[in-house]
Amino acid sequence: MSNGQPTPFPGQSDKIVQVENLSKKYGDNVAVNGISFSLTKGEVFAFLGPNGAGKTTTVEILECLRNPTGGQAKVLGYDVSKRSDQAEIRKRIGVLPQDFNAIDRLTVRENINYFGAMFKHQLDADKLIELVDLKDKRDEQFKKLSGGLKQRVGLAVSLVNDPDVVFLDEPTTGLDPRARRDVWGVVERLRSQGKTVFLTTHYMDEAEYLADIVSIIDHGQIIASGTPDQLIDTHGGKKTLIIRDAGEEGLKQLPTGLPKAELRNAGDIAIPLNNGELTNILMSLGQTPLHDKEIEVRRPTLDDVFLNLTGRRVSEEGN
Amino acid sequence: MTYFSTLPVVESRRRETRMSRIITIINGHFKSWYRSKSNIFWTIAFPLLLIVLFGAIFGSGSTKFDLYVQNQDLSGNTPTYLSGQYVSALSNTTAFNLHMVAAEQTNPLSYVKDDAQLHNRGQRLLVIPLGFQTVLNTTHQAKIQLYMDQTDQASASLAGIVNAATVSYAAHLSPTTDNVNVQQVGIVTKNIRYIDFFIPGVIGMTLLTTGVFGAVNTNGRYRELKIIKKLATTPLSKLEWILGMVGYQMILATISLVVILFFGYAIFGVTATIDIYTVGLVVAAALLFPGIGMVLANFVKEAESADAAANAITFPMMFLAGTFWPRETLPDIMKIIANFMPLTYVNDGLRDALIYAEPAQALTNTIIALGLAAFFIVLGSLLMNWKEE
Repeated sequence: MSNGQPTPFPGQSDKIVQVENLSKKYGDNVAVNGISFSLTKGEVFAFLGPNGAGKTTTVEILECLRNPTGGQAKVLGYDVSKRSDQAEIRKRIGVLPQDFNAIDRLTVRENINYFGAMFKHQLDADKLIELVDLKDKRDEQFKKLSGGLKQRVGLAVSLVNDPDVVFLDEPTTGLDPRARRDVWGVVERLRSQGKTVFLTTHYMDEAEYLADIVSIIDHGQIIASGTPDQLIDTHGGKKTLIIRDAGEEGLKQLPTGLPKAELRNAGDIAIPLNNGELTNILMSLGQTPLHDKEIEVRRPTLDDVFLNLTGRRVSEEGN
Repeated sequence: MTYFSTLPVVESRRRETRMSRIITIINGHFKSWYRSKSNIFWTIAFPLLLIVLFGAIFGSGSTKFDLYVQNQDLSGNTPTYLSGQYVSALSNTTAFNLHMVAAEQTNPLSYVKDDAQLHNRGQRLLVIPLGFQTVLNTTHQAKIQLYMDQTDQASASLAGIVNAATVSYAAHLSPTTDNVNVQQVGIVTKNIRYIDFFIPGVIGMTLLTTGVFGAVNTNGRYRELKIIKKLATTPLSKLEWILGMVGYQMILATISLVVILFFGYAIFGVTATIDIYTVGLVVAAALLFPGIGMVLANFVKEAESADAAANAITFPMMFLAGTFWPRETLPDIMKIIANFMPLTYVNDGLRDALIYAEPAQALTNTIIALGLAAFFIVLGSLLMNWKEE
């Protein structure tokens, strides 16, 4: 019995979130299947995977919204399954639920204060408004804001109690590219200020851009974890040399002896690169009519990692 | 420990009390309410519109007071000269619709009661006693009796006009004959006009709709918008959330009650008595109808469907529970169904308390309404998922 005192797993006192062999079943349906991971203070952690992979179920267990059916999870050393611990967790976490909307007819400032009033201490609403760049919209009713601005209000609301860890569940889903970038900007600011952020997303570029650590989850199981670079190096495959707009004609003009090239949809030629081959290939291309084409080396992305690990890609909608 | 060294922490003295969270919830609901034109329309303007419409359609439309007159001072079969003059004087004021009661009528009050109800008139009777002329001529002092209900909202105006007409008549008769005395006799009537009946019904209807739809909105829509999910990750408890919603409903119910009663008084002269039963009924309604709404919101998860379900429940209840017409006019089977409608007890209780001044019946209805309120709010609270399943 913890009696409201944090009891982190032995030797893991710097861990903000600790998950061991966690499971959640709904009848016969296994949503989360024995996953383990941990999150260190000051980290931006991305839980990456397609819709239905078990991301939200996991994050909601950590937020004490759902009870696990197996395994153990601790947040800030408190056990998510114990009632007395749940009260302590709720005081200390910040949450932005997936598809969250604040109260329509309250202004930005009123919404922040509304949710802030649920806690003993709250951060100054105006400062939070500054943090999420909503100064001009401070007295605007929530319903009048665009999707991107609404999400920034959600971010401010999730920070209102100065949480020790912030859970952002799919914070950019449904936003246009610019609004997504704005949300990324806020997360970056959180990182620079040392906040611990737990992010779920199905956007590979988002995880790659924002996260210190990425865990890829599919069908309720974590299939790979590490820094984005580690994941790409291990599972991303080879770098690719791209010759822009070369077309069918370009394929015929390629010098012999190169690795097998393929034509991609925009007429680009893609040549897989083995280590140390780049200089030789560039020199041989210089002897061909392709020498004046735009050439770039493309590094594999988390998209490639996911493709290599699962044999499929995740669509923009997350499926 | 504060990560955001640049962001000051607000520490309020009233923080982390249950009450401050509940007040925040109430405040949030209330602001959302008064900032919505459609909310204001349905809670305030629509009931008032109904009152005006129904009042205009079913009200008497006459600005004159109904007054029954029995002239017992006959000479043979015709009124004596002076009594006839007095009736003319009343008539000349043009303030009255005079309805003559035959002198032979031995129980004029009973007759007036029946006739007034039949014609939807006020129960007021003025009796010119036998010997009026003789007494006036000999003693210069005559008495006229005016029977009316002191709680009749028209009583003061009516008595005033009768007195003025009488003084003028007496002065005209002879400068020395200044003592025709109008003796007022209080009677208790159930002189309830349609509008008197209707106003408590409109209050009941408004409490019903704001309660049910309010709860469907805050528990259904807020769930869809993930506001409830967000709140469930904070220290706010389910009980505090429900208390906040009920507190807001009580404020709204009080506003509805006051606005409708004031309007009813200002436009139709409906006088109502607010007593402990009224308070009890408002409390009951603020628990009962949101309770029903919460039960609905939990059975019908999608907010739009819950809205439709709320319509399906509130509309039949409105009509069957005697909001617009007395339940006596309903077919027998409907009367039985009406007994199972919670609104029936709120409507009846409000009428007993506000208009009929029937404390015993008001108490019974208040107790039933509070019992139903306890049942539905507890059921709604138990069914409501604060956490996810």
